[in-house]
Amino acid sequence: MRLPYPARFLTVLMIIGFVLAACATQSGDGSPGESTAESAAGTSAPAPSAAAEEPNELLVLEWGGYEAEEFWTDFKSAHPDTDVTFEFGDTDANILAQMQGGSQADIFHFYTGWQQFYVDEGLVQEIDTSKLTNWDKVPAEYQELGQIDGKQYFVPWDWGFTSILYNTEQVDEVTSWDALFNEDYAGHISMWNDGPGAVAVSSYINGWDETALTDDQLAQIEQDWIDQKPLNAFYWSGEYTDLCPAVQDGTIWVAYAWQGCYATALAAGDPVAYANPEEGRNSWVGLYGISADSDSPELALEFLDQKLAETSCANAVTLFYYGCANGDVMSSIDDPVLIEAFGLDDPSILESTNFTPLVTEEQREAWTAMWERVQAN
Amino acid sequence: MLGRRGTLRFLVTPPVAWLALFFIVPLALIAAFSLRAGSGAVGPDEPWLASVDQYAELAGTPAFLRLLGLSVLVAIGVAVLATLLAYPIAYFLAFRAGRRASLYLTLLLVPFAVSYLLRVMAWKLMLGPEGGVNSLLSFLGLTDEPIQLLLYSRPAVIITLVYVWIPFAALPIYAAMQRIDRHQLEAAADLGAGPWSRFWRVTVPLSLPGALVTFFMVFIPTVGEYVTPALVGGTDGIMYGNIIQGFFTRSANWPLGSAMAMTMLVLTLAVVLVGLRAVNLRRVLS
Repeated sequence: MRLPYPARFLTVLMIIGFVLAACATQSGDGSPGESTAESAAGTSAPAPSAAAEEPNELLVLEWGGYEAEEFWTDFKSAHPDTDVTFEFGDTDANILAQMQGGSQADIFHFYTGWQQFYVDEGLVQEIDTSKLTNWDKVPAEYQELGQIDGKQYFVPWDWGFTSILYNTEQVDEVTSWDALFNEDYAGHISMWNDGPGAVAVSSYINGWDETALTDDQLAQIEQDWIDQKPLNAFYWSGEYTDLCPAVQDGTIWVAYAWQGCYATALAAGDPVAYANPEEGRNSWVGLYGISADSDSPELALEFLDQKLAETSCANAVTLFYYGCANGDVMSSIDDPVLIEAFGLDDPSILESTNFTPLVTEEQREAWTAMWERVQAN
Repeated sequence: MLGRRGTLRFLVTPPVAWLALFFIVPLALIAAFSLRAGSGAVGPDEPWLASVDQYAELAGTPAFLRLLGLSVLVAIGVAVLATLLAYPIAYFLAFRAGRRASLYLTLLLVPFAVSYLLRVMAWKLMLGPEGGVNSLLSFLGLTDEPIQLLLYSRPAVIITLVYVWIPFAALPIYAAMQRIDRHQLEAAADLGAGPWSRFWRVTVPLSLPGALVTFFMVFIPTVGEYVTPALVGGTDGIMYGNIIQGFFTRSANWPLGSAMAMTMLVLTLAVVLVGLRAVNLRRVLS
């Protein structure tokens, strides 16, 4: 039987589609590290004037809010004609997925715990720190966070805490992460829309090691968050687009939050506090990487160098209450509010802080899939 | 000079090519991904292997299937409400607006000049604790304090979606009513039919094809809706489309997301086919 012309045409195109899909997926069938080595080798000896020969534009894969010019004002001053644009992700898994999916970003921003994936999958190129004029201001322990197998792949930049942000007029002092599960605040709670974040909170509450959870413990975590779901007004994705407005208009009383939203609400005179849970706050460090496929690696390097410069870092600290990897900026803090926000007046703060651990691919997949099931329930 | 077949190819090829490139090929890609083992985005460590693992996982996760069923019900509800509310608007435009019909039609289309996101965000403000609805309830003395949970709920999703769809929904019904031969209404009147009888026995049957088109036009995209639930639905209003989006973004699991999308597509088509068979479309159209 001879098919009509349109049917034959569509059939051919569908076959092409399947072949393209197969080719696209098989193209990544290389051993981990292979493409990494190539990309590292490709940028090992750039010409001195390489940045001038590159396209005068940068695309940055960022988190919402970080596109504010205050965060990269030094680069803007040094390169007023460079076209810097941003695209956004709202979780580490989302940022990684975009890079895996072929994002054209020159620079990407993610947080501790996810470094290994970018290196293993050849998504990032090695950084020549000798070209970073502000590198010596970054404390050694921060520099090491950006290293994998002794090679510097990432530039640390922002750091801070995750804790409970709460409305002091509606809620008694929060002393534990389990405030997120308190039925007294039903309808006024907001959890971050992120599986690994949920696993971390449950691990703190139960005293479990989040990197060594058993299947039973993960099942318990899943059930706990399913039970907690009706207590939320919503799961937030954007710190400044979702969470802060709802905290400030009184809809949200208790939230999993970063310092930026706390700073915003505090500066606006809202009755908020940032908890010091007995289980400890979570602490994270933000890292920038340069895409292995970047057309402007030298310009990207200059961007990261200028991010570490004094004004950009100081803005992150004073305007958004985020710590910055420039040690000179951090040691010059004398504002009591900032000292309190960073816990600089509490010598035991680091002892009671939970640092974000490295996670494995299996853990990442299990935790994110768990979170999708929680949402569907 | 082109023959009949040549003319057909000349006319059909451009739109078919467009649809094929931007609809069929992406659909084929999603279908292909849904049949891939493992997880991840593009560039997995393992070669592409045909597998039904994703469908097995979907079938073994009752929460996903329940949410799919719930999303279908929400879509049916939204489609029914949008069709019922759009019907009087279309009737007014077709039979009562007279020479001002084009003016009213233009006014009906004014919301299209505003971004979809802005219109949804407007409802976020309307339903919020200090929004229009709460203010009205307070003004009327029906509430002492704002109802906090008016927003971030499934009803908020339904209200917003119905609002968004009504202008679209009125157009196919209006087009169907425009095609009704006025002589048939006159004949019915001559035979003694009153206004209600003419409406129920002439206007409604003859406008039913438009109403059906409206229903399915609203139902089909609403099943997979994720923007509106994400903005106004909160945790209570999450729909199946939000989970698909989650697997493509948060979870970076394209194969499972693709399997969920294909399952939704098949179920949606099944509902449409069953619906069309139930109303006996051929009889309606004739």
